[in-house]
Amino acid sequence: MEDKKALAERLKKLIIESLQIEDIAPGDIKDDDPLFGNGLGLDSIDALELVVALEKEFGIVIADEEVGKKIFVSINTLTDFVAKERKM
Amino acid sequence: MDFDFTGKAALVTGGSRGIGRAISLALAARGAYVIINYASDDDAAEKTVSDITGAGGKAVAVKADVADTAAIEEMFGRIRKDPGRLDILINNAGIIRDKLLMFMGPDDWDRVIAVNLTGVYNTAKSASRLMIGQKYGKIVNIVSPSAIVGRAGQTNYAAAKGGVIAFTKSLARELARFSIWVNAVSPGIIQTEMLDGITEQMKESFLTAVPMKRFGTPDEVTGAVLFLASERSNYITGQILCVDGGLT
Repeated sequence: MEDKKALAERLKKLIIESLQIEDIAPGDIKDDDPLFGNGLGLDSIDALELVVALEKEFGIVIADEEVGKKIFVSINTLTDFVAKERKM
Repeated sequence: MDFDFTGKAALVTGGSRGIGRAISLALAARGAYVIINYASDDDAAEKTVSDITGAGGKAVAVKADVADTAAIEEMFGRIRKDPGRLDILINNAGIIRDKLLMFMGPDDWDRVIAVNLTGVYNTAKSASRLMIGQKYGKIVNIVSPSAIVGRAGQTNYAAAKGGVIAFTKSLARELARFSIWVNAVSPGIIQTEMLDGITEQMKESFLTAVPMKRFGTPDEVTGAVLFLASERSNYITGQILCVDGGLT
């Protein structure tokens, strides 16, 4: 299983690719940057795409919006969650 | 103008009889693989599937009550495996339990809301997960003039279908950016077996409210559904297309 740094890089790529964010490279996203609002500028509907992408990539089903709010705070929170909950 | 759904997978709820059957046949005749959901009538579902496959089309029947969240999740589990995608969802399943409000029991209210409104929540929720992953989907909800102009004896049905109209408009806004379209078709009084059981006098009284002075045909409803399920309607979402001869 990949280490935390590699997983964080993979998640950054996943966010950029699944949300088709232009002009941003994985290296431009800091691990503690907020993903929503002022950070990457994502909104709650963008999160739907991430929920589906996490299910596809890691077999993680997020059915509760409150859980989503906690894990999509930053790359750090997302990485910790995926490392703990991943099924594949 | 005709439509081509070759390679597309479509789920039609309540797809074995009446308007749902006509929609299933029409989609299959234009190349779609049709998953026919039905609640109770095994013979009708089997007949619709065999009519489709007999004509060279592809279809399968899946029995599940749309009001049963667990059963619908299980049905979608099967769809995820085969055919592995869902391009078109037609929410057609519906029931009526007409009574004047004074005489409408809680069961009449709850069951009509459960099938007509919660059923749409159940299928659209599971479908949207699949469709967001695909970045493609067409959802068409079948509603009713009762939800638009009201009808005495149908407060439960009108409330449910009115809910579906509001649901359609809100979900359209949630899913538009993922190339998922959500629209509704509102059929007026349509010549199906439901009309066979009523008297000529009742038919006459229905027709007084219809400016075109005739009932619609199932084909006229499917035409609108196919349009909203096709690429021809790609700049239309959150809308209600009334196929009712001017009734509303």
